[in-house]
Amino acid sequence: MFNISREFAPPFKLIAPFFVVGTIFYILSAAALLFISFDYDYMQMGIAGWAHLFLLGYVMMIIFGAMAQLIPVVLETGHFSVDFYYVIFPLLLLGTIVMVLGFWLNPILLSFGGILVLAAMGIFAIEVFLTIKKTDLNTLTVKCVKVSNIFLLLGILSGFLLSLTIAGFLGVDINSILKAHVYAVVGGYIMITIMGITLILLPMFGLAHGFDEKPVNLSFKIMTYSVAFVIIGSFIGFKVLAQLGYIGAFVSIALYFYQIILIYKKRIRKESDIWFKSVLFAFFSLLLSWILGFMYLLSTDYRPLLYGAVWFLFMGFFSFLINGHLYKIVPFLVWFHRYAPLVGKEKVPMLQEMYPKKQSEYEFWFTMGGTLIAGYGLMIGSSDFFKAGVAFLFIGSVFLGTSLKWMLNFGRN
Amino acid sequence: MAKVTKEQVYDAIRTVIDPEVGFNLVDMGLIYDVDIDDENNVHVKMTLSTRGCPLHQMMQQWVKEAVEKIADVKEVTVEIVWDPPWNISMASDNVKKALGAG
Repeated sequence: MFNISREFAPPFKLIAPFFVVGTIFYILSAAALLFISFDYDYMQMGIAGWAHLFLLGYVMMIIFGAMAQLIPVVLETGHFSVDFYYVIFPLLLLGTIVMVLGFWLNPILLSFGGILVLAAMGIFAIEVFLTIKKTDLNTLTVKCVKVSNIFLLLGILSGFLLSLTIAGFLGVDINSILKAHVYAVVGGYIMITIMGITLILLPMFGLAHGFDEKPVNLSFKIMTYSVAFVIIGSFIGFKVLAQLGYIGAFVSIALYFYQIILIYKKRIRKESDIWFKSVLFAFFSLLLSWILGFMYLLSTDYRPLLYGAVWFLFMGFFSFLINGHLYKIVPFLVWFHRYAPLVGKEKVPMLQEMYPKKQSEYEFWFTMGGTLIAGYGLMIGSSDFFKAGVAFLFIGSVFLGTSLKWMLNFGRN
Repeated sequence: MAKVTKEQVYDAIRTVIDPEVGFNLVDMGLIYDVDIDDENNVHVKMTLSTRGCPLHQMMQQWVKEAVEKIADVKEVTVEIVWDPPWNISMASDNVKKALGAG
C-alpha cells in the first residue's frame, strides 16, 4: 500500500527544484521590471525577454512542478514515468536562460534556447499523454489537460518558428505567428490548465460541494474554439475568424468567473488564510483584466487599456493564483516527505502550521500594493508610479522567496 | 478472544487526523460504516472530502493501521466509496462550527 501511495506522489527532490527555480525567476522578473523601459511596444525585445523570463521561468516552471504532483491526483493513476521530469527541469531551466539572453543580448541565441524549451515541453506533453492513456476517466479536468497540452505543442512550435525568424534563419510573418503563439500558450495552455486544475483545487481547499459545473464546461468549450479560431485566423490571414476568437475568449472567461462565484458560494471553510486572500486577489485581478480588455476591444486601439489588461492578467491573476497555491502545495510536499511516514507513531504538524504567517502576509500586501500601483502607472504612462509599484512588487517577491525557504526547511534536522 | 466493538473501531479511527483541515476522520463524517464479523475481521467503509484528494491511498492506509492496533482484530479492509458524496451535514457539530458552517 505504501509503495502505491508513493507512486501517486512524486519524490520531493524531483518537484522542489521546480518551485525553487520558479520562485527565483519570479524574483528576477520583478527585479528586471525596475530596469526595463516601457514605451508601449510589445514587439520590443526587452519586453519580449521579460515576458519569457516571467512566463517560462516562473509560470511554466511552477505549473510543470505542480503538474508533476497534480497529474496523478487528477487522473487517479500514477505517472507513465515521473523520471521524465528529471530531464524536463534542466532543459526548461537552460532553455529559459538562453532564450531570455537571446532577447536581451543576441537574437542568435533564441534558436538554441528555443530548441531546449521545445524539447522540455515536448517531453512534458508526451509524458502527460502517455499518462492519460492509463486512465479511463473523462472528467472536465482530464479534457482540460488533454486540450491544453495540444495547445502547448502548437504554442511552442509557433514560438520556435518565431525564434528562428528573429535569429534570421527563417522569414515567416512575425505579427501573425506571434498572435497564434501568444493565444496558444496563454489562452490555450495556461488558461485552460488553470480552468481544469482550479476546478479540483478550489473546491478541495474550500470544501465546496454540490455546485453546478455547467458554466466551466461551456467556458472550456468556448475557450478551446476561440484559441483555435485565433490560431487558424492568424495563420491564414482570416481576420474575422481571429476576431471571433477574441470575443469568444472574453465570453469564456466571463463564464469561468461565474463558475468561481458558484464555487465560492458553496465553500464551507470560511477562514481567511494566505491561500484564500491570494486567490481572492487573483480573481479580482482577472475581473479587472477582463474589464480593461473588453474596454480595449471597444476602443480604437487605445493601448494603455491593453497593457493594463495584460499586466493584471500576468501580475495579478497568474502570480497570485500561483503564489497562493504555493502556500498549500509546498507544505503538503514537505509534510508528505517528512511526516507522512510518522503518522500514528508520533505527533505530526498540521499543514496550516507549515507556512510562515508573517512573511507570507508581507509577501501578499507588498505584492498586492505593487501590482495595483505599477498597473496604475502603466496605464497612465507614469514611469514614477510604475517604478514605485515595481519596487513594492520586488520586495514582495523577496518575501515569497524567504517564505518558500522557510517552508522547505520546516522540520529539517 | 474478545469481541471487537464498533466503538473501539471508531475510537481507533479518531486518532487519524486529516492534516489539511485538522480534524479526525470520524468527526469529519468520513466513516460511513464499520462491519465486524464473528472472527473479528473488520471492514471499514469510508469516503473522502474530495475525490481528487492526494492523500487518498494514505488515508486508507492510516485507517487500516489504526484499526489493526486494536487487540484481537484479525484482518482489516478499508473501502473508499463515493456514494453518497460527502457533505458538511455529515460532520460533527464542533467541526461545522470550527469551519464556519455551524
